[in-house]
Amino acid sequence: MRWIPRKTELIAVAACVALGCHEPPASPLAAAGGTTAVRGGELHLASFADIKSLDPAVASDTLTGEAIELIYAGLVDFDDQGHVVPDLAERLERSDDGTVYRFFLREGIRFHDGSLLTAHDAKRSIERALNPDTPNSFASFYDRIVGFDDYTQRHAEHLEGVIVEGERVLAVHLREVDASFLAAFAMQVLRPVCPSAGDRYDDTWAPCGAGPFKLDTWDRGRSIRVVRFDQWWQPGKPYLDALTYTYSMNQVTQRFKLEQGDMDIDRELSLSDIFRYQNDARWTPLGAYDEIPSINGEEMNVEMPPFDNVEIRRAVATAIDRLQLQKLKTPSLVPLYRTLVPILGGDDPAFPAQRYDYDAALEHMKRAGYPYDPKTGQGGWPKVITYPTYKQGLNEYTAQVLQQQLAKIGIRIEIKVVSYPTYLMMTKTRGAVALAPVGWQQDFPDPSDFFEPIFATSAINDEDSNNGSFYSNPKLDELLVRGRKELDPLVRKKLYDEADAIICDEAPWAMEYQYRYYGIHQPYVRGIRWNAVWPNYVRDVWLDKPHAIASTNRHVPNVLASIWKVLQ
Amino acid sequence: MRRMAWALFVVWATTTVTFFINNVLPSDPARMVAGAQARPKDVERIRQQLGLDRPVLEQYGRFMRRLVHFGPSQFTPKDPVHGTCANVWRLHFDLGKSYQQRRAVTTILGERLPRTLFLALAAVLIQTLLGVITGLIAAVKRNTAVDHLTVGGSLVGISAPTFIIGLALQFVLAHRLRLLPLDGFGDTNVQHVVCLILPALTLGIYGAAYYTRIVRDELITSIKQDHVRTARAKGLPMWRVWLKHALRNALVPLVTLIGLDLGALVGGAIVTETLFRWPGLGALSVSALLDRDGPVIMGTVIISSAAIVLANLVVDLSYALLDPRVRTSS
Amino acid sequence: MIRILDARARRRFWKNRGARVGVWLVVVLVVFAAVGPLLAQHDPYVSDFTTGATSLGEPVGPSSMYWLGTDRVFRDVFVRLAYGARLSLVIAISATVISTVIGAGVGLVAGFYEGSEGARVPYASIALASVALVATIAGRGRVGGVLLVLAFVVAVTAWFLSRRIRLLDGPRLDADTGLMRLVDIGLSFPFLLLVMALAAAFDRTTVSTILWTLGLTSWLGTARVVRAKTLSVRNLDFVGAARALGQPVYRILVSHVLPNVAGPVIVLSTAQVASMIVAESVLSYLGVGIAPPTPTWGHMLYEGQDSYVSAPWMLVVPAFAILLSVLGFNLLGEGLRDALDPKED
Repeated sequence: MRWIPRKTELIAVAACVALGCHEPPASPLAAAGGTTAVRGGELHLASFADIKSLDPAVASDTLTGEAIELIYAGLVDFDDQGHVVPDLAERLERSDDGTVYRFFLREGIRFHDGSLLTAHDAKRSIERALNPDTPNSFASFYDRIVGFDDYTQRHAEHLEGVIVEGERVLAVHLREVDASFLAAFAMQVLRPVCPSAGDRYDDTWAPCGAGPFKLDTWDRGRSIRVVRFDQWWQPGKPYLDALTYTYSMNQVTQRFKLEQGDMDIDRELSLSDIFRYQNDARWTPLGAYDEIPSINGEEMNVEMPPFDNVEIRRAVATAIDRLQLQKLKTPSLVPLYRTLVPILGGDDPAFPAQRYDYDAALEHMKRAGYPYDPKTGQGGWPKVITYPTYKQGLNEYTAQVLQQQLAKIGIRIEIKVVSYPTYLMMTKTRGAVALAPVGWQQDFPDPSDFFEPIFATSAINDEDSNNGSFYSNPKLDELLVRGRKELDPLVRKKLYDEADAIICDEAPWAMEYQYRYYGIHQPYVRGIRWNAVWPNYVRDVWLDKPHAIASTNRHVPNVLASIWKVLQ
Repeated sequence: MRRMAWALFVVWATTTVTFFINNVLPSDPARMVAGAQARPKDVERIRQQLGLDRPVLEQYGRFMRRLVHFGPSQFTPKDPVHGTCANVWRLHFDLGKSYQQRRAVTTILGERLPRTLFLALAAVLIQTLLGVITGLIAAVKRNTAVDHLTVGGSLVGISAPTFIIGLALQFVLAHRLRLLPLDGFGDTNVQHVVCLILPALTLGIYGAAYYTRIVRDELITSIKQDHVRTARAKGLPMWRVWLKHALRNALVPLVTLIGLDLGALVGGAIVTETLFRWPGLGALSVSALLDRDGPVIMGTVIISSAAIVLANLVVDLSYALLDPRVRTSS
Repeated sequence: MIRILDARARRRFWKNRGARVGVWLVVVLVVFAAVGPLLAQHDPYVSDFTTGATSLGEPVGPSSMYWLGTDRVFRDVFVRLAYGARLSLVIAISATVISTVIGAGVGLVAGFYEGSEGARVPYASIALASVALVATIAGRGRVGGVLLVLAFVVAVTAWFLSRRIRLLDGPRLDADTGLMRLVDIGLSFPFLLLVMALAAAFDRTTVSTILWTLGLTSWLGTARVVRAKTLSVRNLDFVGAARALGQPVYRILVSHVLPNVAGPVIVLSTAQVASMIVAESVLSYLGVGIAPPTPTWGHMLYEGQDSYVSAPWMLVVPAFAILLSVLGFNLLGEGLRDALDPKED
C-alpha cells in the first residue's frame, strides 16, 4: 500500500498550491494626468458572449447594440438619463396634435462610404428595416406609423407615413398620438444605412453607416475592430483612433487582461471580483453601476389554480424575502417592489408597492381559504406546483431559495430544469405553467415598455403570449391606452403610477430584484459615460496614457515562488 | 463495397432520426431568433421567413433535396438558390442557413471542422505518445513500484471525468500559475498552438490512461510468446527485443483504437471544447442544441456520425489488411 | 454466481493490492452514503443566510459549524455530499443493472443466432421503402408515408408466410445482423441529442428518468462484448450436446452459456458503475441532470465551477468524491478481471 500514501501526499501538496490565498487585485495602471482630451490610441473591450449580426435592422441583443452604437448613428439618440436628444438631426419638432414628428438633418453628414446622407436615405433605411422580408424583431414597435399595415402586408410599396419633405427634412406621420414613439424611434432599428445596403435586407451586406467609427474587420466569433470615421459630424471627435471588441472571452481572462493593460474596461466581473474591486481603495473610484432597467420576479398565471385567487398571489408577493434573495449576488441585485424602477419614474417612497411581510403573507393565505400553520406544517395549497427554471444567470439559485420561502407559507413547488427555448415556450403558452421566473429588460426607455407588452390584454395570445400571466384588467388597459396618448409628462407619470399600483396590488408578478452591472475601467480611460440605455458608451472616450505604459503587472509565472510560499 | 453502402445507410439513418427528434423537442426556433421579448407578430413573421410553419415531412423533403444535389460549378453567395451551397465542381452540398448566425451552415462547419481536427489530432498524438511510453515503462519494470504507480495513475486518469481533469489543469496552470491561457483560440498561429495545449492535454491524459493499460497488457502477453523467446535466446539485447518484437505486436490493437478515437473525437469532445471555449464542432453542437438552431444541429450530427462511421470503416478495412487471419475468413 | 469465483480466483483477488484498495474505497463510499446523512447536523435543503454566509454574502468555508463549508445557496456541503453519495450509488448501480440486462440479453441472442438462417427481407419491401424515401424527398410526404407502411406490411407478411412458402426473395436478415446493425446506428448517434430527446420525452428529470436514460444508452458496448463471448462459448461441446438433446434455446442460454459469459460481464459492469457515476455528473454539468435542489455530485460540481476562485471547496469536494468512488470501482473491476483471467508472470 506504499504508493497510496505517496499519492495522497502529492494530491495534498497540489491542493495547497491550487487553493492558495486570494491575491489582492493588481494596482490600476497610471494615467498621464492630462485634463484636455487628446486624440489617439486604441481602446480594448471584451465580452463573454458573441454578436450575431452588425445590421441594425435585425440586431436584437444588448451586446450587438454596443457595436451598432459605434458604427451607426441615428437621427436621434439617448442621453445619459435616457431622454431623446438630437444626433444626426440637429433639431426635431412635434406637431401640436402630436401625430407628426419632423426631423431636420444636419448639413454635410456623410456615410462611411463618402456619400451624403439625406432624408431619402433615412426613409430608405426605415423602409428597409420594416420590410416584411426583413427578420426584424422590433417591427411592431412602429405600427402606429401611417401605412404600416399596408406596407408590412405587401399592399403598398412604400411607407405612406414617412415623407421626405426636403433634402434634409423627414416627416413621420402617426395615425394616432403615441407618447412613446420618440423613444422607440431612437432605437437602433431604423438607423440610416449606406446606399450599398439598398432597400432590401441582405445578410451578405458589409456593414456601413454614419456613426463615429467605421468597421475595419469582423473576425466572426472572435472580434471586431472599428476605426475612426474622420467625417463624423462632431468635429474633432471621436478621439480614439480605433477600438477592438473581443468576443467569447472568459470572465477571468478579461480580468487578467485588464490588470495587464491589454484591456481597458470590464463590465462582466464575476461576483468575487466585484467584491475585491469594490473593497480596494485604489479601484473604488474607477467603478460604477449602470442603471439600465431590467427587472426580475415571479410570474403567476392568473388562469391556473391556485393563482386564479388574488389572495394567493398577494400571499406570494409578501412571502418573498427580497433581502435574502439579494444575498445570492449582493452587489448586482437591488431589491424590487414595484414595476417601475426609479429612473423610469418609480421614485416615490410613499408608493403602495409590494413588500416582504411574513405575517401578512399568512393572513393572505387564510383569506384565500388555505390557511397554513407553520408550527404543524398543516394546511396551505395541497398540490405541488411545477416550477420551470433554466440554467442562466441566477435562476437556478433563486428557484431553490424561493422553494424554501414559499414552503413557509404552505405552497410547495417542484423545480424542473428545462432548456431556455423550452422555458420560453412554456411561459408563453396558455395553460402550460402556473408559476415561473420571469424577467424583462428595457427595450426602449419608456414606462409603456414595462406595462403594455407584459400586462395588457392586447398582449395575450394563445400560443405566443408575452403576457405570460394572462392577466387582463380593463381598468389597467384603459390607463395604458391613456398613458400612451398623454403628452404631458406629469399627467403621464400619474397614469403609470396608477397602473403600477394596480399591478403591485393584484400581483400577477411578484417583483423580486433589479439587476445591475458593475463595471471598472483603467484610470487612463477618460470620458466614459454610464448611459441609461447603452452599456459601455464609449463614443466620447479619450485615452490619457503616459508614453511608456510599461505594465508592472505582467504576471511572471513564478512557479518556484508559489511553491516556496506554500511550503513555508 | 457492401460495407460502404452500409456506412452510408447508417449516416442517413442517424440524420433522419435526428431530424425528427429535433422537430419533436418542444421549443420554437423562431422565438430563439427573435428574442424573448419580441412581440408575437414579429415572431410569427420570422417563423414564416424561416419556413418553420410548414409540416414536418415537407421540411424533411426540402432538407434532403438540398442536402446533395447538382448545380452550376460557379456561383456567388448571393445566389438565391445555391447561395448557401458548398460545392465540389458540380456536386453541391447544402445545409441551409443557420437561424442564429444567418450564414450558410456549410461555411460555419468549414470554419469549425479544421479546429476540431486540429484538437483531435493533437489529443491523439499526446495520448498515443504518453500511453505507449508509460505502458512500455510499466511493462519493462512490471511488478515493481514504478509499475504499480503507473497502473494506479492510469486508473486515476480513467476515473476522472474529462471536465474534472480539465478544470484542474485550467485552475493550476492557467489561473494560479498563469503559464497558459485560460481558454479560447488565439489570433495568430503561435497563439493557436498555445491555446491548444490545455484542451489537448485534458483529452490526452484521459486517453493516455486508457492506452497505458492496453499497451502494458499487450506487451506483457507478447513478451511471453515464442518468437520473442527465440529472439532472446538468440542473444539480442533486451531493449531491442522489447522495441522490435514486443512493441510491434502491441501496436496492432492500438492502431484500431487510435482510429476509433479520432472518429469519436471529431464530434465528441463536447465537454472539453465547452470548458476551454475551443471553437470547434463540439461547442457548436452544444450551442446549436441550446438555441434550437436546426440547420446547424443537422450539420454537426451529419459530420460527427460520418466521422465515426468513416473511422470504423477505415479501421475495419485496415484490420483486414493488417491481419491475414481476418482476411481469409471474411 | 458463486461458481464464477472459485477458490483460486478468490485468493488471487485478495492478494491483489489494487483490488483491496478498491474494495476499501467502495466500502467507505457505501458506509458514507448510508451513515453520512445521519451524522450531519444540517438539513440539505435549508439555506442559512445568517451563519452560512459571510458579511459580504459569500458562502463560508470549512469551519466547525459547516464541516465542508456551504454552497452557493448557503447550504451545508457535507450533508449534501452524503445525500449525493446515496443518489450516485443508486443511480449508478441501477443504471448498470438495466444496461447489463439489456446488453447481455441482446448480446446473447445475437451471438447465439450468429450465422443462422434468419428471415428474408423481400426485395419488394426494400423497393417500396426506397420509393417512399424518394417520394418524401420530392415533397410528397403523405405518399411516402403510405408506401413505407406498405413496405413494412409486405415484409411482415413475407416473414409469416416464408415458413411455408418461399414467397418473396431478398437478402437475409437474422437476429444477429439485425441487432448488431442497430448497435452500429446507436453508436454513431450523438449522445447529447439523444439524452436531451429522452429528457424531453420523459417530461421531468427525476432519479428514475435519469436511471433509464443512462441505462438505455449504455448497453451497446456490453452487447458487443457478450456477443463475442457467446460466439466462443457456443461452439463448445456441451452446448452442442444440449442442442442435440433438444433443449429449448432459452434454457441453453441461461444455464449453459450465461455462466461462462458471466465473468467478463461482471467485470464490465463494475467498470460501468464507475462510468455511470461519471455520466451522471456529465449530464448535470451539461444541464440535463436531476433537477435541483436534489443534491447530486454532478450538480454540486456544476454549481462549484463558477465559484472556484473564491469558494474552491465547492468544486474540490465533489470532484474528489467522484474521483475516489470511480477509482474504487475501477480498482475493484481490475481486481476481478485479474482474478478471473490472470496474466502469469
